Amino acid sequence: MSMARTDVGFAGGAVNVPVVHAEGGVASKRIVTAYGFWVFLLSDVVMFSAFFAAYVVLVNMTDGGPSGRDLFNLSIVALETGCLLLSSFTCGVASLGARARNNSWYYGGMIATAILGVAFLLLEFRDFTNLIAQGAGPSRSAFLSAYFALVGCHGVHVTMGVLFLLTMMAQVYAKGYRPDILRRVLCFGLFWHTLDIIWVGIFSVVYLLGVAP
Amino acid sequence: MSDTKTGVHVHDGDIAPGDERADGTEVAEGIRGYLIGLALSVAATVVAFFLVGTSLVWQPSIPAAVIVLAIAQMGVHVVFFLHITTRPDSVNNVMALTFGIFVVFVLIVGSVWIMTHLNYNMIPMERLMQMQR
Amino acid sequence: MFGKLTWDAIPWGHPIPLIAGFGAFGAVGALVVFLLYKGYGPYLWREWITSCDHKRIGVMYVLLAGVMMLRGLTDAIMMRSQLAIAYNAAGYLPPDHYDQIFSAHGTIMILFMAMPFMIGLMNIVLPLQLGVRDVAFPTLNSISFWLTATGALLINLSLLIGEFAKTGWLPYPPLSELTYSPGVGVDYYLWAVQIAGVGTLLTGVNFIATILKLRAPGMTLMRMPMFTWTALVSVLLIVVAFPIFTATLAMLTLDRYLGFHFFTNEAGGNMMMFMNLVWAWGHPEVYILVMPAYGIFSEVVQTFSGKPLFGYRSMVIAAMSIGVLALLVWLHHFFTMGAGGDVNAFFGIMTAIIAVPTGVKMFNWLFTMYRGRIVFATPMMWAVAFMVTFAIGGMTGVMLSVPPADFVMHNSLFLVAHFHNVIIGGVVFAAFAGYTYWFPKAFGFRLIESWGKVAFWCWVTGFYLAFMPLYALGLMGATRRMQHYDVAAWHPWMLVAEVGIILVWIGIACQITQLVKSFRHKEELRDLTGDPWNGRSFEWSTTSPPPAFNFAELPRVADRDAYWLAKQRAIETQSLAPEPAYKDIELPRNSPTGVVCAFFASFLGFAMIWHIWWLAALSFIGAFATFVAFAWRDRDEYRISAAEVARIDRANRGSRLAAIAQLGAAP
Repeated sequence: MSMARTDVGFAGGAVNVPVVHAEGGVASKRIVTAYGFWVFLLSDVVMFSAFFAAYVVLVNMTDGGPSGRDLFNLSIVALETGCLLLSSFTCGVASLGARARNNSWYYGGMIATAILGVAFLLLEFRDFTNLIAQGAGPSRSAFLSAYFALVGCHGVHVTMGVLFLLTMMAQVYAKGYRPDILRRVLCFGLFWHTLDIIWVGIFSVVYLLGVAP
Repeated sequence: MSDTKTGVHVHDGDIAPGDERADGTEVAEGIRGYLIGLALSVAATVVAFFLVGTSLVWQPSIPAAVIVLAIAQMGVHVVFFLHITTRPDSVNNVMALTFGIFVVFVLIVGSVWIMTHLNYNMIPMERLMQMQR
Repeated sequence: MFGKLTWDAIPWGHPIPLIAGFGAFGAVGALVVFLLYKGYGPYLWREWITSCDHKRIGVMYVLLAGVMMLRGLTDAIMMRSQLAIAYNAAGYLPPDHYDQIFSAHGTIMILFMAMPFMIGLMNIVLPLQLGVRDVAFPTLNSISFWLTATGALLINLSLLIGEFAKTGWLPYPPLSELTYSPGVGVDYYLWAVQIAGVGTLLTGVNFIATILKLRAPGMTLMRMPMFTWTALVSVLLIVVAFPIFTATLAMLTLDRYLGFHFFTNEAGGNMMMFMNLVWAWGHPEVYILVMPAYGIFSEVVQTFSGKPLFGYRSMVIAAMSIGVLALLVWLHHFFTMGAGGDVNAFFGIMTAIIAVPTGVKMFNWLFTMYRGRIVFATPMMWAVAFMVTFAIGGMTGVMLSVPPADFVMHNSLFLVAHFHNVIIGGVVFAAFAGYTYWFPKAFGFRLIESWGKVAFWCWVTGFYLAFMPLYALGLMGATRRMQHYDVAAWHPWMLVAEVGIILVWIGIACQITQLVKSFRHKEELRDLTGDPWNGRSFEWSTTSPPPAFNFAELPRVADRDAYWLAKQRAIETQSLAPEPAYKDIELPRNSPTGVVCAFFASFLGFAMIWHIWWLAALSFIGAFATFVAFAWRDRDEYRISAAEVARIDRANRGSRLAAIAQLGAAP
């Protein structure tokens, strides 16, 4: 059977070639947007790893002051972890809701995620203020600087995530489940889940290994 | 398929990161994946917290165990929450992730290696101050 | 109310920055007033400032790079002149100023000249080479440019209000900590570079998505032009390296603003960690710069040898290898910091290995030229000069990669000569080659060749005279960042170097003359065919300049050098493929998001530098509000009717027919 042939050309000429499975080609907006956001998230992960590297290097530089073992309260960390983990689940529910254009699942999921996210932030904020009040603030030692920067950076990202979340709720409310809005909901999901992945790293390396004998 | 708005031929062999292939509009089906991910993550977290508090395990193994559990849980997140799999339509997403992980590894391991050696070779402070006089 | 800002921030007692600052801002101000008075305001706002068209944004990037090159070269001639006369003398630049000048020189040349130049050329060319309409995220592209411009603005503002960093282009602690740099200089550096860095990171994300997800149908990765491949490697490096820089500068900022102890002398800080982290970015950065340069030369050498690139596959492998290796060598910037034999040996060997894929590329260019019909147009001259100059610079790099040798040469003028050798010979020569090569595509008329050649000879001779002596000086013990000296043997070399930089400035003057004269005579120099150099890739298939939509119909690609093949077929048959079925085309609308974001970012940076907290808060809110406002718009595209597309394309087809008639008639 002879291979199908076609004229491939444009306003410059033409070449007669066999039909091949076209790779390349313009991807859909959903893929392009989400892929670009994924690449951006990976760059964010690299930024976190720079803070991680600094933390690991400085973890013992307590300048005679308190160390992780003296300061970390694992029950609070467990609570924070529970909030974020559960929020990843509720975020997934919200994504499913958006895909199904189901208002109850979408708004329900988003509100639950927001509540859990804010709970995490409140717990962390209270923890930070306590530490500062007892003289274990970031300017006490290099270890504490690295700790506050790493965990604080994550907290700032969660704050931005909550703002992102509220904006996405407002946008769906105002404009419905339009394709461009849905693309952004997809990006929000990527962001939120990645933040939880970073938290897994933080609670393991900073808190658990910090108090491990 | 064609993106008729722009008059451009659109080619979708790939999937967007974070998206699921299942086109089902049923919420209940999709939840299964997230529930499994949640369960596995909770399990890994609980074990990790438990290991640190207990004396039942050989102590020197605890840091390694915590790290392994962390990496495992990150994997669970990537597969069950981010839907990044090794299927052919997710290859680009996996390659990007791999590149990112490679850089993270080089940066953290490299920095720790370099900084430890620098610290080891550092003249002790008292001797350094002596040399200033 | 105004934080640390007082009238004393203006350098009343220092004539050089005072005159330079008032002069520069006065000139810019006068230009703005002139343009507005002449009624160009609306045109500039509509067609350039709010444009999300990659071609326009690219031109603005290159323009920014050109202007900043003038500032960087001014710093350069000031330093050379100081060293020419400061033998057993104080010279005319007090150390305080000299330190700011060499710091500004490095910061500007790398981050605000070389980066924007390469990014600008990538912006103009990539979507055209890929056969698509624009980059993946056009509005983000505009934001990236304007944030870079904000950084440039802040650096230049430091000339007139306050001071700049005196730490060198990478602000090593503890000198850069608050204790030893209490002024605003380091803060200017930090905010300018961080804000511009956001722009660059977004560009990286944008181009990765574009190259990997938006290509003409049938264009597999192995059918892409080589410039696109090297651009891909460059932006992959941007995305993984810049976050490290962001984090490290943030740590220094936290030290300075909130009393953190990452790099301080007290409380356990570790200043060596700054060097480690910053060079983990810094080394990939130079490969971010040089990869597009390699790509430009691949394009130029192919076109002006009239042959396809030799060893395409090995070029791709070499490019990817260089990209990976670039992430594994960073310690060679601080061999002398004391990591010991094992660590130094590993990084020394990795550094030496990078020479291998680079050599592969070099030989492939030579083999491309071999048995080609070489046309020595200006871009090709730059390419040949690059091959010789970069080879020398690379060899001195391999010398430096040997740790024991580096212990002698680290931070000497030998090092300075090496990195200028590779950056100027590599990146700057490529910038000029690319500028000349793609200028007709961007503007529709060519640059005058004769002036280009004169500029070339001035630049190349000037470069060698300016930097070869520095190799000798370095081996004689002269260090970098030296404000005066008393070794008699060094003086004659310094004088030769001074002649070199003067020649470079004559070269710049020739390039400015070339631009002005070419613009005046643009009708005679008009590019009527869109393909003035007989090129091989898709950018040459459009008119010059291309229409907003680039291609009426995206080309279908079946092979490498698809445009060249189609062109040969068209020349043989003296006919074009049939007209496509014209459809409506939707393009991204203009958006003021970029320039407005940058407006707020400028105030944010300035406010943070001078500790004007209320202004910083307001600016931050403004920037965020802009972002939300942008996210809220409903219409983000405008439509060009099929009839209009047809009209534009038919004109293009007319000039294509003229072109193939011309090429068919030529022997």
